[in-house]
Amino acid sequence: MVVRSVDLRSDTVTRPTDAMREAMASAEVDDDILGYDPTARHLEEEMAKMMGKEAALFVPSGTMANLICVMVHCDVRGSEVILGDNSHIHVYENGGISTIGGVHPKTIKNEEDGTMDLGAIEAAIRDPKGITFYPSTRLICLENTHANSGGRCLSAEYTDRVGEIAKRHGLKLHIDGARLFNASIALGVPVHRLVEAADSVSVCLSKGLGAPVGTVIVGSSSFIEKAKTLRKTLGGGMRQIGVLCAAALVALQENLPKLQFDHKKAKLLAEGLNQMKGIRINVAAVETNMIFMDTEDGSRLTAEKLRKCLTECGILVLPGNSSRIRMVVHHQITTSDVHYTLSCLQQAVQMIQEPSLS
Amino acid sequence: MVTPVIRTVDLRSDTVTKPTESMRSAMANAEVDDDVLGSDPTAVLLEREVAEIAGKEAAMFVPSGTMGNLISVLVHCDERGSEVILGDDSHIHIYENGGVSSLGGVHPRTVKNEGDGTMEISSIEAAVRSPKGDLHYPVTKLICLENTQANCGGRCLPIEYIDKVGELAKKHGLKLHIDGARIFNASVALGVPVKRIVQAADSVSICLSKGIGAPVGSVIVGSRKFITKARWLRKTLGGGMRQIGVLCAAALVALRENVAKLEDDHKKAKILAEGLNRIERLKVNVAAVETNIIYVDLPEDPKFGAEDACKSLEVLGVLVIPQTTFRIRIVLHHQISDSDLEYVLSCFEKLSSSVPEEKV
Repeated sequence: MVVRSVDLRSDTVTRPTDAMREAMASAEVDDDILGYDPTARHLEEEMAKMMGKEAALFVPSGTMANLICVMVHCDVRGSEVILGDNSHIHVYENGGISTIGGVHPKTIKNEEDGTMDLGAIEAAIRDPKGITFYPSTRLICLENTHANSGGRCLSAEYTDRVGEIAKRHGLKLHIDGARLFNASIALGVPVHRLVEAADSVSVCLSKGLGAPVGTVIVGSSSFIEKAKTLRKTLGGGMRQIGVLCAAALVALQENLPKLQFDHKKAKLLAEGLNQMKGIRINVAAVETNMIFMDTEDGSRLTAEKLRKCLTECGILVLPGNSSRIRMVVHHQITTSDVHYTLSCLQQAVQMIQEPSLS
Repeated sequence: MVTPVIRTVDLRSDTVTKPTESMRSAMANAEVDDDVLGSDPTAVLLEREVAEIAGKEAAMFVPSGTMGNLISVLVHCDERGSEVILGDDSHIHIYENGGVSSLGGVHPRTVKNEGDGTMEISSIEAAVRSPKGDLHYPVTKLICLENTQANCGGRCLPIEYIDKVGELAKKHGLKLHIDGARIFNASVALGVPVKRIVQAADSVSICLSKGIGAPVGSVIVGSRKFITKARWLRKTLGGGMRQIGVLCAAALVALRENVAKLEDDHKKAKILAEGLNRIERLKVNVAAVETNIIYVDLPEDPKFGAEDACKSLEVLGVLVIPQTTFRIRIVLHHQISDSDLEYVLSCFEKLSSSVPEEKV
């Protein structure tokens, strides 16, 4: 039996399209370390302009982008960064800002909508008078969309208010904008407006936009100069990167407009799941392309059982906790894939809850 | 009057090589997958191939030689208070932003690099910290060699030497890492397979983007256990990339097509070195030109140094690098033709007439 494959593990699984492959094959390239790669420069200029910042820098990954940004802003020994307790930087980046960068994190509880309480952020800022005991707060980090909260969007107004707090206390503001374009589309707000208050932003190319590799950091020219050196130090200085940047340029052109359809598909999936007995899902919280579904207590369903059934149907999701499954929609998931997923889950739910009927 | 058409001959480094047609085609057709969530099939193919070439259990693709070395040093020196012994003129020590210390917290102990790229064995041994755990000392964990040794002029470390350093490392319970950015050049020049050269090493970093001409990347090789730790560190440093099959496909072509061409690069380097040495006021140690790197020495007149010389050559379309105040570095690669060599020689001849007479 031919089982189709529906990969909902992440939007990073997107494969390069034909147009991208062609662009990669014919990309104009040069040594980006000894001089500069012309296609990389083109991409960086485009991204800087889009984000309303002075300059930009291509890096191999979102992890490196965030690491560089935190380390450049916190370049004095004894620095501290304020960030969400459920943020990607804090949970999924191997603690690199500390182990590699020597920066101390101060976490604030992430609310369900991805924000952090403004009063709590302000209270976490170290009093400079306490220098004998305290590290020195340098930076606040936000994440938009906020992944672990379910791809939730931070509004421009909220971001601006955090920016004001940062300015008032002489701090910098960095936005982990891995899925910033999703936020922009969902909110109907241009990206440069969303990040106006930020000193730096990291924006992924290899997620929903579908490029094979990479992320871009944007910021002031002096910030990007320092970021370049740190990129080299970390080992992210690559040579003829125009190959990868060419694909990214195609991604910006062709796949940016498709993100709205990912959101529609995600909503469709969420609404379908919501109809199923034993599954709980906050449909209103599905703002972009990520869905968290929970199994209800007393329903005989567990995430493990459902994941197994999904796998048997060729549907891939990431392993997670005992009652929650995450699904991420991207442009290589069709509406028909969504319906297929719903029907597989419906079957699984029925089979597990009413085994006598199967 | 006819304005001469200036060609460009880029001899700054073998990193300037651009992807060939067959590489571009391979990149366009590469089979790919998410190398972080799972594994990219073309990356797996490349890693297997390079592991086999190097005679090690496993391998891992990384974005750059700098990251290859950084990861290797940090994995071997994973205890706080570690020290690494390496050449005072090594790439890791001079050109990698001091990352092993600033990012990795590892302390370097340098030993003088001799003219041929080696370090005196007895000096290496003397630099090993006493294991008695003196209150003042860090703990030596690792010795690093570099083959070919770039700053010494692309010199090859002989196998017997590497084996001896390996024995020394074992004797003291240390690991041995080889920065093999240009290991293929060493292998071709010595007529010895890569796996024999690096037999004594616990890890090696091998560049794909230098002489063999792939657009991006290096590969680290080592034991399976080492590579597993290396993979984690690669992610931490931000080197975990997604559909890297695109880049690995080009590298597979490079391994297949361009290793054999390195011999030509060495021949061209020798021809160029001999030609340059014949030019008045220029000096080249021709015997020291073992692979694809040449150093040209100018007379030591502060009025006209290597930087001025490089600028004058640039006007003629010849790109080279000032290595020191009076020394120019030239690096050959497969995208330099025989006619380029003749052109370069003629440009250096023009240059020589503007170089001041050597003071007696």
